[in-house]
Amino acid sequence: MRKLLITLTVLGLISAFALAFVYQWTMPKILQHQEVGKKDAILTVLPESEQYQEVRKGDLTFYEGNKNGEVAMVASGGGFQGQIEVMIGFNPAAGKVYSIKVLNHQETPGLGAYITGGKFESNFVDKPFGEYKVVKRPVKSAHEVEAIAGATISSEKVAEIVEKAIKEIREVYGGEI
Amino acid sequence: MQLWNDFKNGLWQENPIFRLVIGLCPTLAVTNTAINGLAMGLATSFVLLASEIVISTIKKLIPNDVRIPSYILIIATFVTFVDYFLKAFFPAVAVSLSLFVPLIVVNCLILGRQEAFASKNPVHRSIADALGMGLGFTWVLVLLSIVRELLGMGAVFGFQVLGDWYQPMIIMILPAGAFISLGILVGIMNYIARKGVRK
Amino acid sequence: MEQFTRIILLFVSTVLVNNFVLIRFLGICPFLGISKQVETAFSMGLATTFVMTLTGAATWLINTFILEALQLPFLQYVSFIMVIASLVQFVEMFIKKTSPVLYKALGIYLPLITTNCAILGLALLIPLNGYNFIESIVFGFSAGVGFTLAIVLLAGLRETLEFGDVPEVLKGVPITLILAGIMAMAFMGFSGLISI
Repeated sequence: MRKLLITLTVLGLISAFALAFVYQWTMPKILQHQEVGKKDAILTVLPESEQYQEVRKGDLTFYEGNKNGEVAMVASGGGFQGQIEVMIGFNPAAGKVYSIKVLNHQETPGLGAYITGGKFESNFVDKPFGEYKVVKRPVKSAHEVEAIAGATISSEKVAEIVEKAIKEIREVYGGEI
Repeated sequence: MQLWNDFKNGLWQENPIFRLVIGLCPTLAVTNTAINGLAMGLATSFVLLASEIVISTIKKLIPNDVRIPSYILIIATFVTFVDYFLKAFFPAVAVSLSLFVPLIVVNCLILGRQEAFASKNPVHRSIADALGMGLGFTWVLVLLSIVRELLGMGAVFGFQVLGDWYQPMIIMILPAGAFISLGILVGIMNYIARKGVRK
Repeated sequence: MEQFTRIILLFVSTVLVNNFVLIRFLGICPFLGISKQVETAFSMGLATTFVMTLTGAATWLINTFILEALQLPFLQYVSFIMVIASLVQFVEMFIKKTSPVLYKALGIYLPLITTNCAILGLALLIPLNGYNFIESIVFGFSAGVGFTLAIVLLAGLRETLEFGDVPEVLKGVPITLILAGIMAMAFMGFSGLISI
């Protein structure tokens, strides 16, 4: 028992020391990646802004762009399998969504995973505020969203997340449906 | 010559996946694209190599009856290193391998090689063994992931190789496809091995 | 009441929808290695469930009161695997002393549990999913139940297959993998049943 304790303590201390060093070395880079990723996403969904400011209102965090009254926020909700996290850009004054970008998801590869990668996300480009209907054909009206073939539930979940975010943004910034 | 034999051993005769059938969790879980398979293979090989070097160097200092926990501790240290390294320099790879980087700790392949090889042999032979086993693990992962990505998405390493006419078999990149394709692959390898014996 | 519903949902989703073995690919080694007979498979499942429940509680405590409180996230993997190894050792000693019958049934499987990646996977998923103490225990227990379910089902299939006419090259590992694939397909039917 004593041998066990001595060996493991010595090894544990060496390991902790080495890892503390690795942590110090890599952590700034990891944080930087996260920061750059967030910044890219915000500026993608805000068409005209080149800069933004982080604003906390109540429990929610918004990113206010420097042009046109553009606002972005992160919204999330349950998907088909795990959580889906979406960055959404708004223009509350015009009552529309600029565009969305899916940040994280655990949807089925080859089916629901197509919520990322542009084609499905483009459904929400310049979308007027309101309730959305997910349809399994090309859209005919502005309040429709075309579902991904074979992944209707994932598509509906994203639409729901956007609807919920619109509600939250309207409570803070106003904007007509 | 002996070194060459130690190295060659892992590639085919005692291939960790086909012959010893160990380390299957990552083999099945991350092989849905060729990039993931390759990254996992390399990460595992690195941990295997680093821990075999350390353990064969200090094997005399570790009392025999506490060796297993000590090995696990050393392996876990290297795995943490790989995890932070990937997150810092290859964030995209780190995201897609996610949970399976830390799970290299309990890959039976790594602990198994320490017990069966590094704890009994000198450093230079352990390096040869680690390189052979690592490469043997990696090539099978890459092969399996190429098969799955090609059939499941019509692509290899992210490049679309099959045209629009190809209707992807999505099942291949889902869990069920992983089990079935590995099963068939092991069957094919058994067949090849058997033919070799008959000759 | 809401808490109660959450726990029931967590249980169902861990056992069926996100089954550790068939959907998350955790614990494949014992799943393939110790599934020749229903009886031994069940014993293995029982031992694993026991350790997993304890692991759920232990890792939550360590993560919350040591790793997060002292800001040592880089020691997560090292400390979790050490906790699991000592837990397995402790369970082995405990069972040996209190119930020789149970020890005889589970004895040889216990040391193997340390390197079962389902256990470490469970430990790592707890901080990732942000479960509280009660949820961690339930998560550990239901992951174990899911594991037991999968391994017992596979063992049942393999027992039947003993009498089947399997092509020579597919005997052993390959056919077991293909069976597991078919089981995974069946479990895919549960996906999307619950989302939390």
